[in-house]
Amino acid sequence: MFMNMNNLIPLLPLLPLTALLIGFLFHNTREKEIYRANLAGIGFNLIIIIILFIQWIFQDKVPLSHKGILLYQTSLDAIDMSFYIDGYGFVFLFSATILTLLIVVFSKTYLHREPGYKRFFNNLKAFYAGLITIIIAANFETLFIGWEILGITSFFLIGFYRDRYIPVKNALKVVSLYRIADVSLLLVMWEAHHLFQGSIRFEELSSALAGMDTNIEFNSGLLLISILVILAAVVKSAQFPFSSWLPRAMEGPTSSSAIFYGALSVHIGLLLLIRTGPIWEGIPSVKALIMGIGLVTVFSATLVARIQPSIKTQIAYSTIAQIGLMFVEISLGWYQLAMFHFVGNAFLRSYQLLVSPSVLSYKIHDQFFNFIRPQPQKKEGFFNRLKLSLYLLGIHEFYFDENQYKWLWRPLKKVGTALNFIAAKQMISLGLLLFFLGLVGVYSQPYLPAGFRYGLPYIFAILALMVLLKAFTLRGKVIEIWGLVILNQLFLTLSIGYNESFDYSQIHLYLSGILLSFMIGLYVFRNLKKAGLATDLSTYQGNVYVKPTLAFVFALACLGMIGFPITPTFLGEELILGHIHSGQYLLMTLIMGSLLIVGLVIFRTYSRLFLGIHMKGMHIRSYRSA
Amino acid sequence: MQIQSFDENKVLDDLHHYLPSQLSLKDFVHHNPLHNFQHLSFFDAIFKASKNFGCQVTLSLEEYRSLYQDGRIRDEILSFIIADQYEETQVSNWRYNLLQKDYPYSFEPNIGGIRSFWKKVYQIDLDNHVHPLLFRYIGSFLDQGVALWHFPFEDNGLIQAIRDLDRSSFQGVFKSKRTRELLHQNHLSIKHLLDLVVGDPEAYSNYLLDQQFAHRGWSGLFAATESSPETLFYRKKSSLKDLILFELLMELDVLDSNLDKQWKPLGKAIQLPKIKYFENHHLTELETVLSIWQRAFEWDYYDEVLAGIQTAAKIPRKSSHKVSFQSVFCIDDRECSIRRHFEKVDKNCQTYGAPGFFGAAFYFQPQGGKFYEKNCPVPVTPKHLIKEYDVKDKQKHELLHHPRTHTVISGFFASLSIGLWAAVRMVYDLFFPKMRPDISNAFAHMNRYGQLKIENDSLDDLENGLQVGYTIEEMANVVEGILQGIGLTEDFAPIVYIIAHGSSSANNPHHGAHDCGACSGRPGAVNARVFAFMANHSKVRSILEDRGISIPSVTWFVGAMHDTASDEIAYYDLNDLNENSLRHHLENVPSIELALDFNAKERSRRFASINTNSDLKRIRKAIKNRSVSYFEPRPELGHGTNSICLVGNRETTKSLVLDRRAFLQSYDPFSDPKGIILAKILGPLPVVCGGINLEYYFSRMDVERMGAGTKLPHHVMGLVGVSNSSDGDLRPGLPLQMIENHDPVRLVMIIEQSPLIVENILNSTPSMKEWFSNEWIFLFALNPSDHSLHRYKGNQFYPYQTLKKIEAQKGDFIKQVERKDSMKTNHILDATKENLPVYVYEHE
Repeated sequence: MFMNMNNLIPLLPLLPLTALLIGFLFHNTREKEIYRANLAGIGFNLIIIIILFIQWIFQDKVPLSHKGILLYQTSLDAIDMSFYIDGYGFVFLFSATILTLLIVVFSKTYLHREPGYKRFFNNLKAFYAGLITIIIAANFETLFIGWEILGITSFFLIGFYRDRYIPVKNALKVVSLYRIADVSLLLVMWEAHHLFQGSIRFEELSSALAGMDTNIEFNSGLLLISILVILAAVVKSAQFPFSSWLPRAMEGPTSSSAIFYGALSVHIGLLLLIRTGPIWEGIPSVKALIMGIGLVTVFSATLVARIQPSIKTQIAYSTIAQIGLMFVEISLGWYQLAMFHFVGNAFLRSYQLLVSPSVLSYKIHDQFFNFIRPQPQKKEGFFNRLKLSLYLLGIHEFYFDENQYKWLWRPLKKVGTALNFIAAKQMISLGLLLFFLGLVGVYSQPYLPAGFRYGLPYIFAILALMVLLKAFTLRGKVIEIWGLVILNQLFLTLSIGYNESFDYSQIHLYLSGILLSFMIGLYVFRNLKKAGLATDLSTYQGNVYVKPTLAFVFALACLGMIGFPITPTFLGEELILGHIHSGQYLLMTLIMGSLLIVGLVIFRTYSRLFLGIHMKGMHIRSYRSA
Repeated sequence: MQIQSFDENKVLDDLHHYLPSQLSLKDFVHHNPLHNFQHLSFFDAIFKASKNFGCQVTLSLEEYRSLYQDGRIRDEILSFIIADQYEETQVSNWRYNLLQKDYPYSFEPNIGGIRSFWKKVYQIDLDNHVHPLLFRYIGSFLDQGVALWHFPFEDNGLIQAIRDLDRSSFQGVFKSKRTRELLHQNHLSIKHLLDLVVGDPEAYSNYLLDQQFAHRGWSGLFAATESSPETLFYRKKSSLKDLILFELLMELDVLDSNLDKQWKPLGKAIQLPKIKYFENHHLTELETVLSIWQRAFEWDYYDEVLAGIQTAAKIPRKSSHKVSFQSVFCIDDRECSIRRHFEKVDKNCQTYGAPGFFGAAFYFQPQGGKFYEKNCPVPVTPKHLIKEYDVKDKQKHELLHHPRTHTVISGFFASLSIGLWAAVRMVYDLFFPKMRPDISNAFAHMNRYGQLKIENDSLDDLENGLQVGYTIEEMANVVEGILQGIGLTEDFAPIVYIIAHGSSSANNPHHGAHDCGACSGRPGAVNARVFAFMANHSKVRSILEDRGISIPSVTWFVGAMHDTASDEIAYYDLNDLNENSLRHHLENVPSIELALDFNAKERSRRFASINTNSDLKRIRKAIKNRSVSYFEPRPELGHGTNSICLVGNRETTKSLVLDRRAFLQSYDPFSDPKGIILAKILGPLPVVCGGINLEYYFSRMDVERMGAGTKLPHHVMGLVGVSNSSDGDLRPGLPLQMIENHDPVRLVMIIEQSPLIVENILNSTPSMKEWFSNEWIFLFALNPSDHSLHRYKGNQFYPYQTLKKIEAQKGDFIKQVERKDSMKTNHILDATKENLPVYVYEHE
């Protein structure tokens, strides 16, 4: 009796994206138009969601699904953008849409006359589109597209005050951690591809698993996927030991902190766990792991929240703690409770954040009438000592930041510094030479000794990683870093090329994206130099202050370089993964290492070149510590 | 080896001297942020500050030139300013410099110079390592009640608390063993730590200045709470010395653990440059050019104001009608417009202006309050206490802010209960905003229906050294002081309103900056009520009668308060009015409401969200909504655009429209031939009005380094201040949303009195004279006998002829308001266009 409304589903990400394009048309001072484009883009979505919801109810709650456009197809494989919505999807859809809509209305006035008014609303739409894509994704590939959009927009929203130091620093910090989650998901996709012989839809997971004859290899593959999924979820939901990024993400206007980091972005790890439930539900150790992480997070985050002098940080940690509880609920299979919990927590925390500036006068007023001086703390006895130790642990935020640096970034830096014996320039020339030799080698593969040939993918993957690590520690000229990055990509291509028979069309697709980005980069550097602006990366140059358009162009080039969805590089990236055989874990690790670090290098390059405090000329400069 | 002496006390003094002196945000009071430079003449001072702190203190050269192109700085003014300072032969040269010459600009502030060598020598970003943790420690130490666990051992000062914490915990505060041992040393001295960290005694002082100014917000608050501990309800024993010791230890710890053993003190590793901070600064040519432009920018407006004043003063006064009512307002610039509307709506009313504490300086204790609130100008130390009683309303709570939402189990239930309810609440607050317990309500400062203990029972009735209530004699002195000061000593109307002001706003940590500056940043309702009580007291009136001020028995004083954000007026103690007075009052209410409507309309022209041409009542409702909307960062615009202080008879300048830019102090020169009254009322004006003006000036010139930046990302820290981020420094000063419409010009004060008398007063009070002779405030005298203008320059008055002439016009000023668009952007070129020119309207 109902028309099939499923064809409306693709509109959900498309409408906000269309609104984004419309938003681009207006000048920053045309606040009304920008606002209306936003309101319409998200408002229509709400209507569509309601229509879909009604249909779903009348369909006896059979999940809605829609097979979207084919991204790429070969005789063996197909990657499509597919969507489906089930009950959990609706919970997330409604929460996300209603909250975003409310925040749009709130921000209309709140951001009035902000120099970044347009930027804010454009990011908001992109963010929302990414979020919706994740929620309605039917497979890992689609989810990953949304996931990447979310990551990038987070970077821009955290670094919204781009002419200041700390927001930019923290944006970089957060996006670096996000990169770990991104790479985990890429690995998940790769492993799932091999396990299920192609792209698998989430709804088919249970039946697919039931039909498989399980063996040790298959089970360990599932375990690997589970662990990687958990890693991605833990990072994105700021669980132990990655909690410290969340308060540092609260650098933008209060309204954006409220919605993204208080409510939506941070809960997305739950959805990922639910979607992949069939994979890990059967593995008790994984369930225990999820529960364990949840419990540890509950403890650590609550403790830090208790001793926080900053209100927004306190709310951030309370959010994290509640999400920890939700992890526990999920691990116990109580998905529906987790959904209620999510909705309540999302609205509670985002509202608490929105009105957090009120707390000053409210609590001072309360203190005026009700203050009782706390009892002095005692020093002696085990429990007092324990309490004080916990206090100290809380004030040091469980040493999260320190350990992240120590275990994640410092080793990379150390390797990079070890390469100091060779200058970047020499490395590039030497690298290019090696590349051409390698290229010749590709065409003459049959003549190469077999053992040597099998080793080549590894050698080039290692070379790729090395040039990147060099770039990672380099502080000098941007052009050198850019050169190292492109060299990395070239080596990667060779590595893949030696690993399997060369498919030129795929490689071309990949390289076309990379080379175009590379050229745009060169154009940008030349322009900056012409304008007499600094291009060395020893410090944040803040060139966006003078050249905002150039910054935008360069941002696009950077997205191309890291394989952001909708760039050709992205497709190439996905396809390349298909060319690494199952079981080639070492090669995969090396290549993933490259993909991880290239993200860090590119984001850093963009930030140092364009963001931060601009030092040239007579104008207002913020304090570095503010 | 020659040992350079390092004077620890001198550095601590310097730091106390130069660090921002803003107290806890609840006690926000406007002051000159560069008050420590006030002994210098204005431009010497600000460029010296700029050289040291790296702050912008003027607009940029391009901006001035654009203002000139736009006609905002008239050419004749520019010529006048150059000619005013230079010989004729130099004029063309300076004109070239101002208009065409290119000047290179490099940004090299003194402070920060020494410590930057850490990065250069050891590639270590010390601040990045130290700041986040340090801020969390001192934030927790000063915290007033955000954290659920308070900082332990805070009674003993920071360092002792850290020691106890270190000793009693399992893991300890520091990583390196050396630091830990140093922490527990008996006579830990700054000097000793500097020996280890810096090693070059000549650089010690500068190093400490660098270090503390790298987080001037936190250090400033630490220093300020050291000298005024009462600014925190939950008192802490803060001392700057402790902070420095702790920071040096943290630096040492970071260096030890990150650079292994291979580092030497900075001054031993390289030869540190020998820069002298805070040396006397000679203006560079660029700075001179900027100072001339700034003068011209200011003078362009002053000249227009002065021309307006002269035109207005010459309009003959009307013969006096029967006065319908009188009202005494605060001198606040925001009351400038409401007074105009009062006078327009009821042509027979009279308005007066006096500092909004109305001469009654006291501490106020609301019923149930555990502390006192100071309701008078900051420099005054009150001897009286006013207590509230008989309040029936209960304190209201906001569940959303309950600390239990941050614990695990209650947090869980809160999510499932108030969390879901928050969704509904959000919709409601967005579309139907209304007053909530967490919105700062100006009318909640004192309960409207409670009672005040105003009359002292006996001189022994003391509380903490304060006398509870005023004696009759004291009351008479207060009332006499005010009435004489404003020149209201006869012809009393049946009702005299004493109208204080306050401001309601939502989601606004800076709400204190919107309240009454003369009441230490609080709503002045108590003061108005107390004054009205005093003036109505029969015994007071009989004393006044003896002193020559005869208040007829039909006259009744009514205390009231104007909410400058919501444009509402509340009246107090109406029950005390007799039938006759009540009838008079009720007759006035509709006029006052209409005046408020018009005031709202006039204010709305600067608000993009309100259509100034729509229905009066709708505008009024929209204005009211702004004051209770969480999403509105501009509930009102505060003192933005303030630039004038008029001291004189209201009748003289009644027909002058100064937008909302003037502080208006009433004063009758004819009743004060010797200037005795003038000397008294001038006292608080430079500090209050000049303080506000300069705070706006500097926050506008550099909203990042002197102001608090945009308020949108602000985190509330420990209920004492705001910062931009979780790991950020505190941000003293005014936020962008308050200052964006402000034209940064110094205050110009015009006194209606003969220049000779004013000069005499200044010569006898050097502290006041400094404001004018160093040009932190410009001063003019309007001679009441012939309306001639006199400019104060150097140390004396000179006659002044305005360059501009302004004609009086007929019609209705409100039409000008309807025509004016709000500014396109908040860049100075657009912002200055939003201001209205000076108008003079003849009496109808």
